[in-house]
Amino acid sequence: MKAKHIQHLYRRIGFGILPTELEKLSKKRKKDVVNSLFKASKSMTLLEVDTSEIKDIFSGMMNASKRDSETLRKIQKISRKKQIELNAAWINRLTKSPEVLREKMTLFWANHFVCEDNSIIYIQQFNNTLRKYALGDFRDFVNAVSKEAAMTKYLNTKQNRKQKPNENFARELMELFTLGVGHYSEEDIKESAKAFTGYSHNLRGEFVFKQRAHDEGEKTFFGKTGNFSGEDIIDIILEQKQCAKYICEKIYRYFVNDVSDKNHINAMTEVFYKDYNIENLMRFVLQSNWFYEDNNVGTKIKSPIEFLVGMKTMVPTEFKEPKQLLYIQKLLGQILLNPPNVAGWKGGRNWIDSNTIVLRLKLPSLLLNDAYISKVKDGHEDAQIDAKKAMFNKKFGKRFKTEVNWKYFNNQFQNVGINDFQNHLLACDVNDSAKAYLQSLEKVSKQEYCIQLMSLPEYQMC
Amino acid sequence: MDRRKFLKQSSLASSLFFVPSFVRAFEDVASSKLGYKRLVIIQLSGGNDGLNTVIPYRNDLYYKERPRLAIAKNDIIKLTDDVGLNPSLEPLKRLYDKGYLSIINNVGYPNPIRSHFRSMDIWQTATDSDTYSQSGWIGRYLDNYGKTPHSAIEVDESLSLAMKGEHLNAIATQDAKALYNLSKDPYFKNIHGHQNDAHLSEHNLGYLYKSMIAAESSAKYIFETSKTVSSKKEYPNNKFGNQMKTTAQFINSHLETKVFYTSLGGFDTHVNQLSRQKRLLGIYADSVEAFVQDLKDNDTFKDTLILTFSEFGRRVKQNASVGTDHGTANNVFVIGENLKTQGFYNDMASLSDLDDNGDLKFEIDFRTIYATVLDKWLEVDDTIVLNKSFNPLGFI
Repeated sequence: MKAKHIQHLYRRIGFGILPTELEKLSKKRKKDVVNSLFKASKSMTLLEVDTSEIKDIFSGMMNASKRDSETLRKIQKISRKKQIELNAAWINRLTKSPEVLREKMTLFWANHFVCEDNSIIYIQQFNNTLRKYALGDFRDFVNAVSKEAAMTKYLNTKQNRKQKPNENFARELMELFTLGVGHYSEEDIKESAKAFTGYSHNLRGEFVFKQRAHDEGEKTFFGKTGNFSGEDIIDIILEQKQCAKYICEKIYRYFVNDVSDKNHINAMTEVFYKDYNIENLMRFVLQSNWFYEDNNVGTKIKSPIEFLVGMKTMVPTEFKEPKQLLYIQKLLGQILLNPPNVAGWKGGRNWIDSNTIVLRLKLPSLLLNDAYISKVKDGHEDAQIDAKKAMFNKKFGKRFKTEVNWKYFNNQFQNVGINDFQNHLLACDVNDSAKAYLQSLEKVSKQEYCIQLMSLPEYQMC
Repeated sequence: MDRRKFLKQSSLASSLFFVPSFVRAFEDVASSKLGYKRLVIIQLSGGNDGLNTVIPYRNDLYYKERPRLAIAKNDIIKLTDDVGLNPSLEPLKRLYDKGYLSIINNVGYPNPIRSHFRSMDIWQTATDSDTYSQSGWIGRYLDNYGKTPHSAIEVDESLSLAMKGEHLNAIATQDAKALYNLSKDPYFKNIHGHQNDAHLSEHNLGYLYKSMIAAESSAKYIFETSKTVSSKKEYPNNKFGNQMKTTAQFINSHLETKVFYTSLGGFDTHVNQLSRQKRLLGIYADSVEAFVQDLKDNDTFKDTLILTFSEFGRRVKQNASVGTDHGTANNVFVIGENLKTQGFYNDMASLSDLDDNGDLKFEIDFRTIYATVLDKWLEVDDTIVLNKSFNPLGFI
């Protein structure tokens, strides 16, 4: 398989690929490379932080007759701390997991089945449900999501009772999770909300069906009438080809191109509608020729997480303080586990504003190179480099408690000629004036050149 | 101003991005001819307890529902025979006496949500409570009427959803110098050179270059314009005080910015509310008074309108921890020199006619306030920004 295509594949279904790994794969055929991706993601590794402290409190509470507010506050306090841990653990996972495709799909689904919860137990469980079904059966996936404690809280299915229906989940199920706006009626929402009455959870976060709150009456939904359950409603939704199309469109825009291509999406829809198997759909996309066409390569703007994790993939960087990692996510506009609302992050150009673009351009040098971007002209020596870095370190060094492993980078790029660096670090061609400027500069070292390339707007593309 | 003319200007300005002096010329004309009205938004995050902010001190129900939380009659700053202010709000009383304050009671929206995130989201995006939007109301104002990122500034480190449009976003800065320093590495200038590539914005990479150039230019503009003015006023020495001080500096240096966004957090008073709220309202009121005085000293108060809101009010009945839980409708403060309705815009909410949760039933949709501000103050078409038509109110 062509190196260029492997790089494209790994930028989209992962966060980039290192030269040594690339070399291994480039001897294989495309079919084998793609197959190996799915094989590596057959397994599923739960993402878990230690929550035993809260679980202990829970088991104490199960026996207690009353829940006192002090205990609840204590749980909240631990939960907040643990959420920061989970956030850092997730980013670490994205950087290092061998289950590359599964993890990238999980990230995709997290912005599809959008949810948040202040309980670490429920949100961790929800996150692992995304991971479990990321390449699985979409029908099972939707059902599992509908029964997650965090989701019944987030979209108020918990408050959805026969006597007093709450339509929030039913509405978003159709508008955001399966069909897209305009493909159902207000009446469909009202009727299907009845089918999800009684969905709830217990303290431990397990699904509980409250029979007495459930509406056993007839519901008329998409022209069918019966005493439908929540599962029945999801079955009827999935009968609509629009559901397959809606998901395919979203996958296309995330993995292939911001701009939809009708023919490709139609072809995907045919594949997906057959069995709603996500793995089969992704195989079809990644095996297709159009996925690797030039107009799909290097044309997407990285999400903040793709940018951050991509950087860490090339040059391993450990944050000593999880709060600093969280802070950088905040400034870049995407905090994992903390979506803006159930519609999720809009993505694409929406990631970019004056603040985020300035920070994105400066972040590689800030985190990896003491804020220094070499500007020394060709044929000259960078005399001030050490002094400048030292000064920055003295002034601001304490702000970023990071450990950067340039040794790892240098090993990985040992056999890469400096003229080939661009191909490894950038997904698209460098525009003419930047190219001319780069050529006028001295290539001081691989490290300094890497920082120069990462400081280009071109590095924001994938 | 004629909307079509404005639209034409803004689209022209953006296509001529690479001729900054031309844009600047446009802006100079616009500001000198039209006067320059500015909106300052103050967000009280966490859900400020409106009932202990503006207090119906003659209402027995207030004391009955809040035996340990009600503020004693003697401590309340009386505004009328029935209503007074939290003891921390003495500075606000002075603004009230001068006719600079309009209190709009009982503001909310249908089918209220009691989650902080969601309710704040609703206030910031100005949607119905069952609709989700990925753009904010000021963002959509920018989409239609903004010219540059600094047409709206959030005086903070990053942008709230309120300030994000579909096509144009505001800029966030609480330290103009730091932002400028971050953006001005000569490396960045050299990579885009002096290119004048008209089709840059057609593809994503072009959009990044365009955003980079716009950010550099806005950061430089904000820093160089605002550094000419330094405030002589004393502000409370805390984050919010500094935000207001920076905002005053921006306004008094005549930055071409229509909207400023600031916020003060910590109002989620489930436990031991009295001391916490007293402290926060004190910070708020002291900072706002200093701010108003600072603007008056520089003759900019007459063109500034200050809007204060919180994502919801709190429950009428106190809880078991001498605090209050999440509620619904709340009061909104409008501060300015040109108010049509000074003092109270409408009556206090009824404390006897509550909803099933024991919360206030709202009377005024917050979006009618936005519509009024857009229409009568910023002089734009509010229906385009809010995607819906609301009857404007008479406070300005």
